[in-house]
Amino acid sequence: MVTGSNQIWAPWTVDDIHSKADLGRYRIRGMSTHQKVTHFDDLTFLSTGLTRFPLEGYKEQCNTQVELGGLNASNPLVIDTPIYITGMSWGALSANAKTALGKGASMVGTASCTGDGGMLPAEREVSDKLIYQVLPSRYGSNPNHMATAQAIEIVVGQGAKPGTGGLLMGVKVKDEVAISRDLPPGVDQRSPARHPDWLGPDDLAIKIEQLREATDWKVPIHVKLGACRVKNDVKLAAKAGADAIVIDSMVAGTGASAEILLDHSGIPTVPAIVLAREALKEIGLYRKVSLIASGGIRSGADVAKALALGADACAIGIAALIALNCNRDIPEADFEKEIGLPAGACNRCHTGKCPVGIATQDPELVKRLDPDEGAERVANFLNSMTMELALLTRSLGKGDVKSLEPEDLAALTIEASAMAQIPLVGTEKVFGM
Amino acid sequence: MVSLDAGELTTRELNRKIKDLAEKGDAEIVITNPAAKHNVAVGVRNKCSISIEGSVGYYAASQLDGPEITIDGNAGWALGENLMSGKISLSRSAGASVAASMRGGEIFIGGSSGARAGIGMKGGTLIVGGDSGFLTGFMMQKGRIIVCGDLGDAAGDSMYEGTIYVGGEVGSLGADAMFDEITEDELIGLWNELEQKGITEKPKFRKIISEKKLYHYDTLERLERTLI
Repeated sequence: MVTGSNQIWAPWTVDDIHSKADLGRYRIRGMSTHQKVTHFDDLTFLSTGLTRFPLEGYKEQCNTQVELGGLNASNPLVIDTPIYITGMSWGALSANAKTALGKGASMVGTASCTGDGGMLPAEREVSDKLIYQVLPSRYGSNPNHMATAQAIEIVVGQGAKPGTGGLLMGVKVKDEVAISRDLPPGVDQRSPARHPDWLGPDDLAIKIEQLREATDWKVPIHVKLGACRVKNDVKLAAKAGADAIVIDSMVAGTGASAEILLDHSGIPTVPAIVLAREALKEIGLYRKVSLIASGGIRSGADVAKALALGADACAIGIAALIALNCNRDIPEADFEKEIGLPAGACNRCHTGKCPVGIATQDPELVKRLDPDEGAERVANFLNSMTMELALLTRSLGKGDVKSLEPEDLAALTIEASAMAQIPLVGTEKVFGM
Repeated sequence: MVSLDAGELTTRELNRKIKDLAEKGDAEIVITNPAAKHNVAVGVRNKCSISIEGSVGYYAASQLDGPEITIDGNAGWALGENLMSGKISLSRSAGASVAASMRGGEIFIGGSSGARAGIGMKGGTLIVGGDSGFLTGFMMQKGRIIVCGDLGDAAGDSMYEGTIYVGGEVGSLGADAMFDEITEDELIGLWNELEQKGITEKPKFRKIISEKKLYHYDTLERLERTLI
């Protein structure tokens, strides 16, 4: 007799069926996938010993500055740390959260990104380096705003919900957000998945030229892809003229998504980076077209591993929100009462009832996030990650994060070996090769 | 008045010259030999007058705020994309996605327009003298589309707000689009507006608006119900 709990009809599966039977539609939530997938924890660094000498871990100089999108832009995006804040909309997030993210990024010499709601003036004001997203919805799209940006990012797909558009429940489409997006207040906004003015990669090439003309060829044009058919998508984006490609994996976050897409589409970050790197190599554009990885980046170690696998930089979303106090039991909040879940387990961003004032448009809840204090926390977190990254880099005997390479890594599992295309620890074998 | 020969300039040089002239204020620019180039007159954000003598490719007169542009010819995809303010007048026909995500101003098409005219439109007025293709007004949010001729299938699909006026036949209505009553005053207003564009016929316009049945999810989860 087999004992133990039922694996097929687990309690959460039963609850899921009950919920759908009540609801009559797909379920929606925020945060990221519940799937357990191969991630950066399945890789380890092979630091120095006798075969290599380390740099002094705590003091010796280590360059963390990177340049992104220098292929065509006269003013490439130069950031002092290879970590920036990804696009998250004003609407999904409060104005205080957007301002804190922009200000915090500026405090450490890096960039933030607008998101699917247009450019918030307060965010522009505090952001030294702002990436302006061009999304299928074009909410708030304004050439005057775009002209002030330090980079443009065409969003083809999002890792959390590839193949579909943004989602903003009506409770968050308050008057100001509705005006900015030209939407009726309170509408459950389901953004388009396709761009209104181009369809395939040949059109994208003309679109990229248009954005270059609109911005006088000054700033880089990024293309953001949800990580699915990575090799071909990356090649097509590069061929269309992208200066940088953002590959956003299935573990990336969101303020709202159909749960079925979160958990059942896309590929993890580790193989996404490797496939993108190989695609660029095959067309001779590796290290010419910048590669930016996003999805589940939590620490300096994750950044170091992403860079070693071939990325030029990383973009963070949820980690930055957690730095802002997402899922923290702050004194003003009562998670159980206000959201029905304990602090640390909340993924109810889409309800607009965020107890810490981040993913809400409720003026009373927004007050719980002080943008200046939030900016300090974001800056501290970015500094911490950058120090961790530099510490690991020095431990590998390197004085520049751009020198990190696959040879610095080993895989802890067979799956990670196959996905990262690096040897399994204790062997010289790369599985799947 | 300044004349620029597009045949002698790269797109980048042409747009730079247009912007330099426009920034000086009240410029009158004539562009000759456009030869269906893509991205002609992109990103001009000053008031000025631009006359393009010939057909243009994709994204002509896009990302604009202020200029008045006349084009004597046809246009490729996405003419007037993201227009903020100003006027664009095209003598012949436009390809797909004319006025995509337009936010203000006016676009007039003397001939017909392709698929997805006024897609994601957020304001302003698009007037089409001839017919317009399928998915006209797809996911339209605000503004007006006036089509004197016929509309293709799925007209006004998933539109949030705004109005489509159609003078001819409609292939089919899109999801969540419906016909609405048009008033006599509205009709006379449209005819007067068209007369100013040299259109003297008086089509018996019908009006398409959003049925607003797709505004909200029908149901909320147990947890959400206690919250929203």
